[in-house]
Amino acid sequence: MVLSSNGLRFEVVGREVTGRPVRGRPRRPYSPYLLGLPGLALISILVVPIVVTTVQAFGDGPGNFAVLADPDALHAIANSLIWVAIAIGLIAVGFALAMVSYRIPAVTSILQPALVVPFALSLLVSGATFRIMYDPVPERGTLSALSERLFGSSPVWLGPGLFWLVLASAFGWIWLGYVVSLFRAGLDAIPSDLIRTVAAEGLRGRRRFAAVEWPILRPITGVVTLTLVVAAVRMFDLILIAVPASMHHDADVLALHWWRTGATAEPGRSAALGVVLFAAVAVVAIVGMRGLRRGWAMPPVSRPVGTPPPGRRARRIGWLVGFVVAAVWALPAVVLLATALHSPRAAGLRGWWSLDGLSLDSFVAASHAGLWRSMSSTLLVALVATTVLLVVAIPTAYLLTWGGLPPRLGRIALTAFAVLAVAPVQMYAAPLRDAFAAAGLAGSRISLALVHAAAGLPFAVLLLRSAFASAPPSLVAEALQGYDRQSAVLTAVRHTYRPALVAVGVLEFVLVWNDFIVGFLIGGPGTTPLSLVLWGEARQFAVSTGPVAAAALVSSVLPVALLLSFWPTVVRGLTQGTRP
Amino acid sequence: MVSRRTVLRAAAATGLATATGCTATADVLGLRPTVKVAVSWSGRELRAFRDVLDAVVPDDYVVEVIPLGDDIASAFGPRTPRRPDLVMLPQPGQVRSLDGLEPLPDDLVVDPPAYAEVWRDLIRRDGTAYGLPFKIAHKSAVWYRRSVFAEHGVEPPATWPDWIRLNLRLVERGVTPLALAAGDGWVLTDVFENALLGLSAPAYRRLAAVDPPRLSREPAVAAALRLTGGLWAMPGALAGAVDRSLTLQFPDAVVEVFGYRRAAMVQAPDFAELTIREFAAEPDDVAMFTVPPVSAGFAAPVVIGGDVAVLPAPAGEQAKDLIRRLARPDATERWIAAGGFLAANTLTPADGYSPELARLDEQLSGAATAFDLSDRLGALGGSRGLQRVLHRFLTRTGGRGPEAVDPAVAFAMDELRELED
Repeated sequence: MVLSSNGLRFEVVGREVTGRPVRGRPRRPYSPYLLGLPGLALISILVVPIVVTTVQAFGDGPGNFAVLADPDALHAIANSLIWVAIAIGLIAVGFALAMVSYRIPAVTSILQPALVVPFALSLLVSGATFRIMYDPVPERGTLSALSERLFGSSPVWLGPGLFWLVLASAFGWIWLGYVVSLFRAGLDAIPSDLIRTVAAEGLRGRRRFAAVEWPILRPITGVVTLTLVVAAVRMFDLILIAVPASMHHDADVLALHWWRTGATAEPGRSAALGVVLFAAVAVVAIVGMRGLRRGWAMPPVSRPVGTPPPGRRARRIGWLVGFVVAAVWALPAVVLLATALHSPRAAGLRGWWSLDGLSLDSFVAASHAGLWRSMSSTLLVALVATTVLLVVAIPTAYLLTWGGLPPRLGRIALTAFAVLAVAPVQMYAAPLRDAFAAAGLAGSRISLALVHAAAGLPFAVLLLRSAFASAPPSLVAEALQGYDRQSAVLTAVRHTYRPALVAVGVLEFVLVWNDFIVGFLIGGPGTTPLSLVLWGEARQFAVSTGPVAAAALVSSVLPVALLLSFWPTVVRGLTQGTRP
Repeated sequence: MVSRRTVLRAAAATGLATATGCTATADVLGLRPTVKVAVSWSGRELRAFRDVLDAVVPDDYVVEVIPLGDDIASAFGPRTPRRPDLVMLPQPGQVRSLDGLEPLPDDLVVDPPAYAEVWRDLIRRDGTAYGLPFKIAHKSAVWYRRSVFAEHGVEPPATWPDWIRLNLRLVERGVTPLALAAGDGWVLTDVFENALLGLSAPAYRRLAAVDPPRLSREPAVAAALRLTGGLWAMPGALAGAVDRSLTLQFPDAVVEVFGYRRAAMVQAPDFAELTIREFAAEPDDVAMFTVPPVSAGFAAPVVIGGDVAVLPAPAGEQAKDLIRRLARPDATERWIAAGGFLAANTLTPADGYSPELARLDEQLSGAATAFDLSDRLGALGGSRGLQRVLHRFLTRTGGRGPEAVDPAVAFAMDELRELED
């Protein structure tokens, strides 16, 4: 084709487009990578010790892994597998509870808070409460008194074999609320016209479940399974407090076995145990990540239009069921409160239901153990950790979502974060402790806060990234236009993605406040986080139930209040990420 | 919904305000130099120690007590701002093997007659004294209820076979004789050590002196296990049988005898007196006899434990001043008044002791005393060593009758042999 204009002749020749229109690879701007620097610096607090431990484990070949052939180690691994089974059972129970309560909407308002409160408690507090309840002495223990009155004799609840019941109850009490809440959020988000269409098609019962609920709930099931299985495999503090010392060997799990053998074994063998633990949870994380690959974004919640309200009888049953379940769920908290309100002597001799010996002396005794000093210490650590985490996680998540990373690098980064999110403390505790001691930082609260922030960074980045990834396309397009638009986008991010940010902040604060293992393994003497004070008081458990209950109660007020007031936002941040 | 959230947020804010207020108060204390003392005590003992410090510490400095519980080993480490200045070590046998300790100030005299002969080698390394004996524990006491003995017409036993007969008589009359705190491993090793020292003091001292220790090669160990097994294997002898005994910690066994009155006696060190005074349903019904000799002609065993005060190097002037004050004979009178405390300093006036503790105090300077063996055995005497062997021994013999003792002893010796390899 020939064109003529201004005395110039143009010839347009067509050519088939094969290969890239422009040669070479796209030039990516380097400036977004600067956003990743603080994240990199913080995460190196974890990564460097993990690498050191791995190198120690593989020292001169795989010889160190012979520590697994030790019968004690095998016993510990078998117990860890039992814990995984308990976690899966708990998920099934939670799912069933969510399905049942979903059909009876009136249950929500009482059941939800009752189930959520235990989630704000640390495993130490839960373990202490259930050890108080399962005390084998009939004058003191709730269940012993009940079974003595009903059957004339009571089994030794904390004894060999039966202590599994105590442990499973404590674990279930904490986690069931989380499981039910997340499943309920997922079920609530199922659009009602989908249900009506499916019902019109004639699918009922199990086939409907397989066609509608199960595929939609798969991402949430993935999140819940991942969280619970990782918590079960990393079980540490619950066993220390809930099981009497003579049975610690029977109740041994891999994480605990590492600690027990750490003092006497060579560093290489200890490191090998840590690597095995890490490998187990890393496999779970990678499998879970692949299941989540499709993303978490749920369709926006639509108001159920035209669904007939449940009948009066159904509503009344719903209220009754909700009330009963909430009462049963609140019983351990009532036991804790009542025990704390007795004097130490009365709490050590009689149960929480006895009316003599009511006084505040247990709180006084608990304060003698350094409760207030450690509370301010823990508050400082938690605030610093949460602030540092938020400040570092937001730019890192932004970089991963919209920074224009090459796809392969992005995938590697995501997998690395998923694996680091589940890294057990055992992998980085020993080198970090040695490094802090050498640098003269042992017992410093700021360094402990930085370790907490680093430990929480991977999960926070993953969470924020999913929230950012479910952004409307217009925001993404604006971000990719260049550096000047990025600040405007960040402002939009802060407003639109508040649920995810609140979820990260609140969860991190509660997690650091309730933490035991990091302070125990890495903090030096005198850091005394709250959990260590509680554990110290629990050394002579049965006669110190008063001060232990008082300390547990006082340390639980703040996280419970925080989580209860922000719970709807947290759930939204975990499951949706954006407002409809 | 809005009002509930406001209430909850107010609670959260109040919690934050209280904690911040406490930080402010704590900062004020930073005006005076602080001496940090790490202890392994908790509960009543901790309170008593704080009373002792209140009486002893002058106005120049402030003492902060850090209760570390079983984690007392973490008190030793590199010098950091938060490292303790003084450590009350519950296992004096470690003084010889710990590095980084500062020698005691020269003006402190830790030789006999101020302190018993048994401390001489424990606290010294190459002739220099590193630890100040503070508290001594008499581990050969058996506390019982006088009314039970009177009601069934029995007397405190003169020999070990008498003790077995006494228990049998109580079982026949429907009374549980013993409460055993099997939840705490050191209780079991105490019983075993008393049997071993009573049987053969030379064997006991041999085991404590040899390094590495070889328990499985000493025939006296098997004999001591047989004696202990004879005590535990009697059907109905243990309160709650083996299963519940395994959940009982040391104070629980004391409460079982004196609080719930379900057993007649408990073998417990002198510091059980603190627990008895707090929980006894009848405070006048308390009596004590010491562990009887193995048979006529043998000496009654006296096993001793204790706590020493050590200074991690380098030690500041205030820490040295504090340890001088704690070394004074009258420093511990408040704890003696509270009960359950035997001063390691022999110059401490003995009139503050209760009658039971005064009897124990007299025995401390005798010739048949020996220091706690499990402390000297190091890792072998700990929770993964001798304590675990004794736990398994208890589960194999407890309440199963005398036929179960010999096979269990054989098993235990095999396990000890495996541990030593």
